[in-house]
Amino acid sequence: MKSVPMLSSAFLAPAGQSLPQPLLELRQQRGTALVDMPLPTRKTENWKYSSRYLQLTDAIAASLPVSDRIDTPLAKVPGYQVVIRNGVMVPSASTLPAVEGVTISRFADLSDEVASSLAERLDNTLDANAVQLARLNTARFEDGLYIRLAPEAVLDQPLFIIYETDASQSGSAYPRLYVEAGHHSQATIVEEFLSTGSEAALVNAVSEFTLADSAQITNVRLSADGESVQHIGATGARLQGHARFESHCVGFGGPLRRHDLQVRLEKPGAECLLNGAVVTQGRQHYDNHTTIEHIAPHCNSEENYRNIAAGQSHAIFRGRIHIHRDAQKSNGHMNNKNLLLSSGAEIDTKPELEIYADDVKCAHGATIGQLDEESLFYLVARGIPRREAQTLLTMAFINELIQQIPVAAVRDASLPRLNQFIDQTFEEA
Amino acid sequence: MTNTEQQVSELIKREYEHGFVTDIEADSFEPGLNEDVIRRLSAIKNEPEFMLEWRLKAYRRWLTMEEPNWAHLNYPKIDFNAISYYSAPKRPEDMPQSLDEVDPELLRTYERLGIPLHEHAKLAGVAVDAVFDSVSVVTTFKEPLEKAGVIFCPISEAVQKYPELVQKYLGSVVPMGDNYFAALNSAVFSDGSFVYIPKGVRCPMELSTYFRINAANTGQFERTLIIAEDDSYVSYLEGCTAPMRDENQLHAAVVELVILDNAEIKYSTVQNWYPGDEHGKGGIYNFVTKRAACIGKNSKVSWTQVETGSAITWKYPSSVLRGEGSIGEFYSVALTHNYQQADTGTKMIHLGKNTTSTIISKGISAGRSSNTYRGLVKIGPGAEGARNFTECDSLLIGDQCAAHTFPYIEGSAKTAILEHEATTSKVSDEQMFLCRQRGIDPEQAVSMIVNGFCKSVFQELPMEFAVEAGKLLEVSLEGAVG
Repeated sequence: MKSVPMLSSAFLAPAGQSLPQPLLELRQQRGTALVDMPLPTRKTENWKYSSRYLQLTDAIAASLPVSDRIDTPLAKVPGYQVVIRNGVMVPSASTLPAVEGVTISRFADLSDEVASSLAERLDNTLDANAVQLARLNTARFEDGLYIRLAPEAVLDQPLFIIYETDASQSGSAYPRLYVEAGHHSQATIVEEFLSTGSEAALVNAVSEFTLADSAQITNVRLSADGESVQHIGATGARLQGHARFESHCVGFGGPLRRHDLQVRLEKPGAECLLNGAVVTQGRQHYDNHTTIEHIAPHCNSEENYRNIAAGQSHAIFRGRIHIHRDAQKSNGHMNNKNLLLSSGAEIDTKPELEIYADDVKCAHGATIGQLDEESLFYLVARGIPRREAQTLLTMAFINELIQQIPVAAVRDASLPRLNQFIDQTFEEA
Repeated sequence: MTNTEQQVSELIKREYEHGFVTDIEADSFEPGLNEDVIRRLSAIKNEPEFMLEWRLKAYRRWLTMEEPNWAHLNYPKIDFNAISYYSAPKRPEDMPQSLDEVDPELLRTYERLGIPLHEHAKLAGVAVDAVFDSVSVVTTFKEPLEKAGVIFCPISEAVQKYPELVQKYLGSVVPMGDNYFAALNSAVFSDGSFVYIPKGVRCPMELSTYFRINAANTGQFERTLIIAEDDSYVSYLEGCTAPMRDENQLHAAVVELVILDNAEIKYSTVQNWYPGDEHGKGGIYNFVTKRAACIGKNSKVSWTQVETGSAITWKYPSSVLRGEGSIGEFYSVALTHNYQQADTGTKMIHLGKNTTSTIISKGISAGRSSNTYRGLVKIGPGAEGARNFTECDSLLIGDQCAAHTFPYIEGSAKTAILEHEATTSKVSDEQMFLCRQRGIDPEQAVSMIVNGFCKSVFQELPMEFAVEAGKLLEVSLEGAVG
């Protein structure tokens, strides 16, 4: 038997101590549990296609330094803004809302009482067996962002959380977000991952959402870290009756991009919409895993993911709908479309249904294909240069999902970036 | 309604019709597996040296392997040393040469199964190589086949008569170390069928093998090898029933198909082994490796299966589409009831240019059963212009059953197109209401709806199988509604 690679002990070195005691204890406890954790291999089902891209070297084990400085001026966002740099909040660069019922606090500032109740709930939205590496976040976070929406509180403008990673030296960052939405509360939270510098780095980010009855949360996730940064992210959401969770993910490829999204529909009437668009080129890699657990009856889920892979890149989608025994009258729809732009690229998809109740309507569809030659011909025949026509058609493929993002600023910012990325792809081809 | 309920409960209680033990003394080995057992097995079959070497190599390989546990199945660990690895009907030295010589007890067994061998063979024009436990007992219709140049014989005979063909192709599609159960089969395979269709020959009749598992506690390790030379065609039928038994019986078969230029093999299976009783006790464990290598240009393989039996089914008939323009098809109906568990599907591996594949899978789960479709469609970087269409639908009957779909789709050729769709639904109240309103009782209504659901697969079956399959579903679904 070949020996299984283990998580290097360098990853479990003590981190900064500027957190309330209950969170320090939790971190300690998680760290102890991770000693000798086997790393995923090709034989680990949920890392089958990605394990070989995972490079948890000792060089990136150390935490990236904390600083209050912001190197690059950030684009002005039309809403509230929180800047998290190397996993730690930078209050000077943040503009927090003063809305009644909305509490936004960094973990370091929480009272022991709140911190201890939070410590009990952290990780509860995620299935530990499916997101082994999310536990590393809980063992290592230096700070975190805690958002609480009181019942019926409504955040009037989107909250932008900018996670900036400074990869001017090797190391890792562990940003953490916990959102607690009271009944009938509403908020739109945009998470954006960026990086500067070109040294090897790791971002291990975990975001958790709990939605009480009839709460509505829209979560937009833009993953645009640099070429030297490995990104392992996990998002978990638990929904009570008639709550609605919307997730829109837009991802640009990198050496390793991994996102696990787990949604639990726990009470009747809960519903979710999960959209995702991914583009990869060169030797990039992107791996999206989603799980929707229909635990209660009368819940709806809808999911649309699209991948575009060019060059020698590799895009993966694995979606799972799990209908539990009592979840009668469930509706689940999953759709995954993929565009393969070169023969060196690879797209792997695994749309799964696991169903234990009979009175359900579930369907999934998946396709892998390329640009339609006839559509291309149509455009070229009308005098549009071939490359432009290819870009146009490819953008059309992905635009369908981008247009569903309910924040205009995100749409406006994403489209030119995607356009440039895709155009570049055809230039190389 | 009480009337129906009564009927239903009677139906539920009805025992497996094909469950009985034919009282023939079997010449069996003591349970257990070691190199000596393999040597004895090989000696009994008077095998040439290369065969024994091959078996031993497979056995040593098997010892280093681990039993796979990735399937969505739940069963107690199999004790491979509690199984007897050889069982032949008594008196192997005077094997019957014609039907008259066949033990009448054996013929009655077939009759009780509703397959009067001679009549069936004559009527349907089917040559039957009947495998009763482990040794082929009778082979009919040999002459017309010989005239056409087709070889259809037990594989143990082929080892003697055509060693060069066996040596060349055995293990060429499913290597001995392919997987745990294939390795076990390679080490201890008892018998099976060997078919060779020479160049340009269209096999004059459909070839058919009936399997039966008979003596208690003897694993059945069939090995089938079919070779279709250039421009040839053969349709091969395989059907099974087994007697009732309390311990679980292991069946680990390997089927290898080799298909050369412009040749076609149509492989149809009706599997109706003992599924265990209504409490999930007993039943066959069916771990099968089936694979076709479409080596030649424009070669074609078509797998059609109707799976209604076995307590555990672990089976993924696969097609390796290597030849340019080769075609793979998979049509499947898998029905599970009571505590049956099925994890089945197919693999389509596209390596050649312009290869196409179609997958139509219908899973029906009733009672407390679990039915899983697990498939792989892989398009290699060289498979330009490859095309796949997959449709897998599940039908649920009752609120205690489960249906799963785990499709792996891997594409890496720019000009390939892959499509996959799956749905899960139940027999709707509207459909039932419509039937009931017209005076059709619930049992019949469900059977009718299920038959409609499976129609696109049944159409692919040879005629006599199609009839049998429809009946089989009806019998298997008895007691599923209520």
